[in-house]
Amino acid sequence: MSLFYVVAFLSIIFALLVIFTKNPVHSVLYLIATFFTFTIHYIILNAQFLAVVNFIVYMGAIMVLFLFVLMLMNLNTDTEPMKSTLLKVVGAIAGGCLLVTLVGSMKTLSSASTTAMDNTGIGLVENLGKVLFSDFLLPFELSSILLLAAMVGAVLLAKKDNKTA
Amino acid sequence: MSTLIVISILAIVVLYLGLFKAKQALLPISVLGLVAALALAIMEWNSNAAPIFSGMMHFDNFAVAFSSICIITTILVFLLSKNYFEKISDNVAEYYTLILFALSGIIVMVSYHNLSMLFVGLEIMSVSLYILAGIKRKDFASNEAALKYFLMGAFSTGFLLFGIALIYGASKSFDLAVIAQYVIDRPTGIDPIFYVGLVLMIVGLCFKVGAAPFHFWTPDVYEGAPTLITAFMSTVVKIAGFAAFLRLFSICFAPLQDFWMPTLLVITILTLFVGNITALYQTNFKRMLAFSSISHAGYMLFAIVALGAASTNAIFIYAAAYAVSSITAFAVLMLVKAKTGSENFEDFNGLAKSNPFLAFALTVAMLSFAGIPLTAGFIGKFFVFNAALAQYHTWLVAIAVVNAIIGVFYYFKVIVAMYFKDNQTKQIATPAYFNFVLGVSLIITLVLGIYPSFITNLF
Amino acid sequence: MSAPVDYLPIIMQLLVALGFVALTMGITHLIGPKRKTTDVKLTAFESGIEVIGNARQPFSIKYFVVAILFVLFDVEVIFMYPWAVNFREFGLNGLIEMFIFMGTLLLGFIYVIKKKALEWD
Repeated sequence: MSLFYVVAFLSIIFALLVIFTKNPVHSVLYLIATFFTFTIHYIILNAQFLAVVNFIVYMGAIMVLFLFVLMLMNLNTDTEPMKSTLLKVVGAIAGGCLLVTLVGSMKTLSSASTTAMDNTGIGLVENLGKVLFSDFLLPFELSSILLLAAMVGAVLLAKKDNKTA
Repeated sequence: MSTLIVISILAIVVLYLGLFKAKQALLPISVLGLVAALALAIMEWNSNAAPIFSGMMHFDNFAVAFSSICIITTILVFLLSKNYFEKISDNVAEYYTLILFALSGIIVMVSYHNLSMLFVGLEIMSVSLYILAGIKRKDFASNEAALKYFLMGAFSTGFLLFGIALIYGASKSFDLAVIAQYVIDRPTGIDPIFYVGLVLMIVGLCFKVGAAPFHFWTPDVYEGAPTLITAFMSTVVKIAGFAAFLRLFSICFAPLQDFWMPTLLVITILTLFVGNITALYQTNFKRMLAFSSISHAGYMLFAIVALGAASTNAIFIYAAAYAVSSITAFAVLMLVKAKTGSENFEDFNGLAKSNPFLAFALTVAMLSFAGIPLTAGFIGKFFVFNAALAQYHTWLVAIAVVNAIIGVFYYFKVIVAMYFKDNQTKQIATPAYFNFVLGVSLIITLVLGIYPSFITNLF
Repeated sequence: MSAPVDYLPIIMQLLVALGFVALTMGITHLIGPKRKTTDVKLTAFESGIEVIGNARQPFSIKYFVVAILFVLFDVEVIFMYPWAVNFREFGLNGLIEMFIFMGTLLLGFIYVIKKKALEWD
């Protein structure tokens, strides 16, 4: 349990650093650290597959994509306009409300019952595969359509078009 | 299920037709494929289908009705697309493909029986739409629309997903039937986390349908996206959003009405006022349609607020009426824009003299939007209000009537511009496809308005 | 069944990897020859021309297409792990199920190739 608190503390610290650093590249690096702590969380929760996915896809691929996007844009000067104070206050209030609601419900929950998973090994790759290819077969096949749509979209938006419009 | 397969395969076929330079075949094949999908969907009517694929999907009458209306509307949109995408880009096939992909997502959204399917369907639809909103790559407004839509959409999906996760945490299942059973089994003592999940799902879904405090993306996205895509978004996508909303609430959360009703009530009233009052001040016709679509979302939310046996029917009729009127409005807008190059109300001046048929079709559409008797819109409003009155929301109906009267003002602006303002313009050449679509929409609007019993007793 | 303890070897490997990097860097620093340098010698060599501007220029979107396609196929490959682990158990059905998934994405890949999205000019 103490391991959980250490890792959770680190996730929060890194997540805050992502928002508070001025340099966008540093932000991305902190985001990688945040994702790494998430991977540890998944391992603690015995969710092997999610840990692997998080490690390979999020920390590896998506972070590269983030860096690429940063390099596509010209971020040499600190041209980021500051948000107005009113907007900040509104955002803080809205976020705070959500936080209060969530914390409140979690608090009542702990006094009620902790729902334990029937099967603690569900997160292992083998068990997950069995569920994925039986109960969740249809969403799995449909996700290929989703990936295909994204593929077509990426080519469509990023490839040079001969006709100008 | 067969409908979904046909549409998905059709999308891939169209994509490859584009690769092999069969541009002439794109439109006919898309339309034929959709007609086949429509036929397959209708054949499932009253087949008492059980949930398939371990309870992932349930192609019941609800799903048949809403997927049919979505397919029909998509066919109408496709018919308007003749020569439209060619002007924008070389990659015509991709646009058809993406619309078809979006449609396959929509079929999933109206027939899901598991929250994971809802999510996958919603994502397929959204990803396709993000791209479609930004297909005019050199156009700043289109880029802005795509980016705004993407950011807002991703944000709202986050809310939805968090809600789904919390509901799973409480009920230990994604299956709608199991969640419903969980709610029924516990008249008291539902996990508080379940309520939070419910609220987050309301937020996510309200984002998607563009209801009031979450509507900020709607006007800019609708205005910036290409008109045809806006037509698709404001009709098919909106209907799908409401179908998903209604399906979730009528199956799972009906016993908890006391909890979510006040929240949704506030959202509904806010949506009505924001949509109608802002629409009054618009000078751009397309932007006015965007705000009017917000207000129509408000009317459709009515039927969910007053959730009951009549809700499905009310939303179905309203959606049908709204879809055909929108298609007409956008079709005429496309023609006028092609002629004058802008989309303001003045561009419609004198349209009645130069193109009496266009003017008449648009007038009927506007009357239907406003809910004037003898049009489909009136029947739709009547049923929605009826559903609300059945639950004694009398003052809510009073507010809605006030809003309907506000609506009349801005819808009549166009009619006044067309019939009572003069402008020496030449006749706009209307392609045969447009005439066909306008004719069909006109007939549907009037027939539903005069003999509503065609679809009022479906459910 | 696996417990967090089972990950100890991985952690060990991680530590060894990190330790190796730190060690080699430290050692080269310690045992390497040391020179006194001026600031001029440390600047980038630009054939004697003064350095102007910033090295960070926005680069071509072509890299981005490659990157995003990589991510999409990466996600596809991820789905193969749970399938491969249970491969024998699923039998023919599992094979067909996976082939439908792969086939759809293969069609996407052929599309990408045909569209020449991966060609550099």
